[in-house]
Parts: sequence; structure tokens; C-alpha cells
Amino acid sequence: MDSKEIIDAKDKSLAHLRSIYHEDTETLIADGRYGFISGLLKETLKRPPIERVALSDKIDRVIVNRWLGIPIFLLLMFGVFEFTFVLSGPFMDWIDEGFGWLAGQAAGIGGWFGFLLGDGIIAGIGSVLIFVPPIFLLFIALAVLEDSGYLARAAFVMDRLMHRIGLHGRSMVPMLLGFGCNIPAIMATRTIENPRDRLVTILINPLMSCGARLPIYIILAGFFFPAHAALVTFFMYIIGVILAILMAFILRRWVVRGESGHFVMELPPYRLPTITGVLTHMWEKGRVFLIRAGTIIFAVVVLIWLLDYTGALEPIGRAFAPIFVPCGFGFWPLAVALVFGFLAKEVVVGTFGVLFGVGSAMVGGAMAFELGMTPLAAFAFMVFCLIYVPCVATIGVIRRETNSWRWPAFTVAYTVALGWVMATLIYQIGSLFV
Amino acid sequence: MPTKPLKELKPGEKGKIIKVGGGGSIRRRLLDMGVVSGSEIEVERVAPLGDPIEVRIKGYHLTLRKEEAGSIQVEIGR
Repeated sequence: MDSKEIIDAKDKSLAHLRSIYHEDTETLIADGRYGFISGLLKETLKRPPIERVALSDKIDRVIVNRWLGIPIFLLLMFGVFEFTFVLSGPFMDWIDEGFGWLAGQAAGIGGWFGFLLGDGIIAGIGSVLIFVPPIFLLFIALAVLEDSGYLARAAFVMDRLMHRIGLHGRSMVPMLLGFGCNIPAIMATRTIENPRDRLVTILINPLMSCGARLPIYIILAGFFFPAHAALVTFFMYIIGVILAILMAFILRRWVVRGESGHFVMELPPYRLPTITGVLTHMWEKGRVFLIRAGTIIFAVVVLIWLLDYTGALEPIGRAFAPIFVPCGFGFWPLAVALVFGFLAKEVVVGTFGVLFGVGSAMVGGAMAFELGMTPLAAFAFMVFCLIYVPCVATIGVIRRETNSWRWPAFTVAYTVALGWVMATLIYQIGSLFV
Repeated sequence: MPTKPLKELKPGEKGKIIKVGGGGSIRRRLLDMGVVSGSEIEVERVAPLGDPIEVRIKGYHLTLRKEEAGSIQVEIGR
């Protein structure tokens, strides 16, 4: 039998069934299956005489309550943040100091080998390991939420809002997690079934301002806007959220087109998470980060070290600086800091400090007095730092999660372009008024 | 007996599914999840923002958007 005969035979059978039942086959199969199940249950299952209200239903009366649903969701998310970033803080400091000390020891060997070992390899390993505490803790918190059954409720509560901007209820949690760190946030998109919804959620995540960008705002806003530092910092987060919503809309309309995922899913009964279950989740996701993102971060750290060692950094900075003239910060040390910021945003301020020979706290002063930067230019610089490439680790995770180089390349291109356009608009339009 | 789409039922109202309309993957998904004609279905609650809804069917809880619930025709008993 060739394929045409098979298809003909199938069509004939379908027409035959339809003429008897006046229903399509999907319905017939579903009806048959559930008919069989209910028959079987009738013969074998004894129900208790009074149907009790399960504990799960009682919990839901509060948790997804009309008025309490959203406040409880926000409170739980805040709790996840606190748990992750407060608890991981000391560990990150220890790793930072420990590897700093080790790198110093290695550099003490002297010669290019000491430099390579200390500032290249050991610092490179340190920059991977420093993400381990927040990532593993975040995955513990997420696993508890998921295994308890709450994550499905969170999607239920937030779906309307997310559906409006072309996403899915399950996109909400990864977006909020992005305020902490984009890497675990992007890995948390795995709960989204529809591949297009998931891809868009991944691509806009870098616009959620992660913790590593905060030092830049604190230092620069503190110097350039001393009276309104908190407000300016808060503004950065708002700009990020607005751009994320706009990008989701644009991507859904022109780049990742196609049907959005349906929202037919079970709200499972609440269950107490088991320790083994939570730890297994944590390890499986954390391990992937260590291996995949780790190798990429490590490679880039060593590469930048090499550029620094061979004295190629200043020429690179001078080559890139003219691009940023319309944004108001076309200075080579800033260009170098931005190149380093590609590695990790927390090094932007530090790099600049090193190049000018001042501590992090004095960076604002150096920018103002040595480069003559205005508050407006500093604001544009902060906006650029908010938007352009989150960090090489995030790019590595996007590569891993989308399983192609196309989307990490797209992310780099669109975030740099968007950052440049926004910074230029702010600086040029602002210059008309200031 | 009167029939209406599931999305018009209020929390606490229940009925019997008469027809699962719509098409494509959503319809298949609904059928897979036990939303088949003849089943009893009860609307439990509406999400805080007014969509999606939560229903009880075959002894478990299911959530779906109103647009998805629009294609399910329900017969309101008693």
C-alpha cells in the first residue's frame, strides 16, 4: 500500500464513522475513553457518603481570593527575593574575597603565567562560582513554589495581565525573578509550554533590571542626583519594565508570530514539598548553569584578561568611544567599562575606577570633573547600562535555553541598538531643555 | 432545558456539558482534560483580574480562559 491508498482508506473510514455518529473522531475517541473510565469506576470505586471540603479548597479560598490573590502573589515573590538575595549575600562576599585572595597569591608567582593564572583563570572561575549561591537558593524557592502547587495559582492570578501583552500567565514569575538575576529567571521559563510564549519571555527578560545593575545606579545617581537618587534609581526599573512590555508586544507582532498558548491546565491540590524533590530540582537546574553558562563566562573572562595584558584595551576603548558621542558619553574609559560590562554589569563601575585610579565611590566625581559629564549624560549612561547586553552569562543561558546561536545574537543586537537609541534620545532631547 | 456557553456561568453555578466546540489544539486539549459532553461542570471562581476562570470537573480543578470557555455549551439543570 502506498501513502495515497492509506490516506484514501483513512478518509473513507472517517466519512463512514461520521455518517453513523454525526460527530468527529476526536470527540468519539474522547467520549469512548471517558465512557470506559466512568464504567470502570462505577464497578470498582466506593465514594464516601458526604463529600468533604478538602483542605486544598480551603487554602484556595484565601490564596486566589478576589482581593487577596494579587497581594499574596506579590508578597510571595518578595519573599522569594528576600530568601534568595539576602541569604546568598554573605556567601557571594566570601567567594569574592576568597577568589580575590587566591588570585593575588597566584599573581605573586610573577611573570605572565602568574597573571594568567591569577587575573585570568582564577578570577574567571570565581566569576562563575559567585552566581552559584543566588542561583541554587532561587531554585530551592522556586521548587518549593512549584512542588506545593502554587506556581499554577500564580499563573491563574496573573494570566489576564500577561495575556494582554501577548504573553502567558506563566511568564509573570520569570519576569519578576529577572529583577534578581536574569540567568535563573530565563531558566524558570521552562514552565511555559508554548514555545513562542516562552521565547518572547526569554528575549525580554534582560530588560528586567537585575541586581548587578544596581551598583551603577547607586553610585551614579548618588553623585549626579544627590537629592533624588532613590527616585532616579526607581525610574531605571520602571523604564526597563515599560520597554519589556513594548518589546513583548513588538516581538509578538513581528518577530515571533503565531498562536499564543492556551490556558487549559490543572490546578493541582496543594502538597507539602519533599526535601529530596526540592534538592533534586535545584541540582538539575543548577548543574546545567554551572556547565553551560560556566564555560562561556570563563572563556570570555580569560579573553578580556588577554586583551588587557596585551595592552589592547585602550585602542578598543578609543575605537568604540565615537559611537557613544551622540549619547553624551563618548569617552574611551567609559567605552572600556561598557566592554567589560558585557562580562558582568557589576564590573562597569569598578573598571572605570581602575582606569582612573579612584575607588568605586569616587567614580561619579571622576566622570564629572575629569570628563566633564553632565547629570543628563550620566542619566543617559545609566539608561544605556540598563538596556544593553545584560551579561555574557545571560547570553550563555539564552544560547542554552533556545538551543541556537540565533536568539542570543538577536538579544545582543536588539539590546545594544535599543540602549543606544534610548540613550541618544534622552541626551539629545534633554539637551534642548537643560 | 436552557443552554449557554460556560463563560456565562457565575461562580457556584453548575451544569452538564452538551457540546465542546471550537477547533484545533485547544479543543483537543479540552477533550484530553476530560471536558467531554455529558460531564458535570461547576464554575468555582473567577481570577482576581476577571479572567481566567476555575472550574470543577470530574472531581478535580481546571483553569481556562473565558475565550476558551466560550466554545463549551452547558445545559443548566434545575
